[in-house]
Amino acid sequence: MKDYLDLRVPLRREMMTTVRLATGGVCSAAGMSYDGGEDCKVCVTESLLLLMRRGFVSAQVSFCAAANGGIQVRVTGEEGAAAVPLADEDEIALALLNALAEDVAMDRADDTIRAIVFTFGQQA
Amino acid sequence: MNEEELFRKYRETGDVALRNEIVEKYLYIAAVLAKKFVGRGVDYDDLYQVASLALIKGVDRFDERKGLKFSTFITPTITGEIKNYFRDRSRLVHLPRKVSELRVAIKHASEEFFAQNGRKPTAKELAAKLGVTEEEVLRSSDAGGVVSLDVPVDREGDGMSLHDVLPAEDDVFERVEDRDALESALRTLTEQERALVRCRFGQELSQMETARKLGVSQMNVSRMERRVLQKLRETMKKTMVE
Repeated sequence: MKDYLDLRVPLRREMMTTVRLATGGVCSAAGMSYDGGEDCKVCVTESLLLLMRRGFVSAQVSFCAAANGGIQVRVTGEEGAAAVPLADEDEIALALLNALAEDVAMDRADDTIRAIVFTFGQQA
Repeated sequence: MNEEELFRKYRETGDVALRNEIVEKYLYIAAVLAKKFVGRGVDYDDLYQVASLALIKGVDRFDERKGLKFSTFITPTITGEIKNYFRDRSRLVHLPRKVSELRVAIKHASEEFFAQNGRKPTAKELAAKLGVTEEEVLRSSDAGGVVSLDVPVDREGDGMSLHDVLPAEDDVFERVEDRDALESALRTLTEQERALVRCRFGQELSQMETARKLGVSQMNVSRMERRVLQKLRETMKKTMVE
């Protein structure tokens, strides 16, 4: 996949299905396996929920081609945000991201997670 | 007790009750993670079970001295187990490629035959058409897809499923007989010997704990246990022969 896709969504729980469906479509277009696509959906959802719990009211989900094949996903929080310490569910979400995705990285500013970046389906 | 103390105490004592307490405390992680994988063709209950078992195993492997939070440690462990489950499940039954191909060929040949002759072909006719033996045709028709254990075994609707009629690994009747023989054998023991059986095999106490409970030495328990087992074996053997 060489295209660059951008999705801007209000951070509300009812929007998660829409984002998951869009993510599934992108993964399929990128030639990822069914399981890979499902894992990617989980990671995108977890990232959005993490940002939502930090007080963001909207987010941008960007998909682009990764260097060694596969896709890179960047989920960035927009508007709002406060320095909320990591709760148990945040710890689980981060551990889950690390377990499912490759090269998970986070942009932090003022003690708050502002963006989460991860890669899927890379070939070594 | 905080997380670190709880795990330290468990590591030092190996106390099963403590392990159960830890498992119960963190069971919510298994539930949370199982929910994340719902919708991939496996029921939540099955995922929860897989996740819970991974949690129990993880409790034994966790070392609080490494400075990691338990939730951070256990999440990848449980996720890995769930993903393994998905992988293994998709490989439950694989028909050999030749059989799969023959099944497809049979389907096409049957449709073609029906279109030409207005009736369904026999196995012999299919074999002749496809250039295989009749047995191969029959065998590949038997090699159907995955069958649910809940599928009814007949059309009478008596509620019997495949699971109900499959032989169990351990025969219930045999177990009843064993139990009966054991009960008769236990009646031949003295009160103290029966107390020993209760402690050692009912409550699973160690010889030392049993000795304390019965007010005798551990050596006594050891000797008594050997004698009791010998007695039970002989009595049961006699009962079974009769």
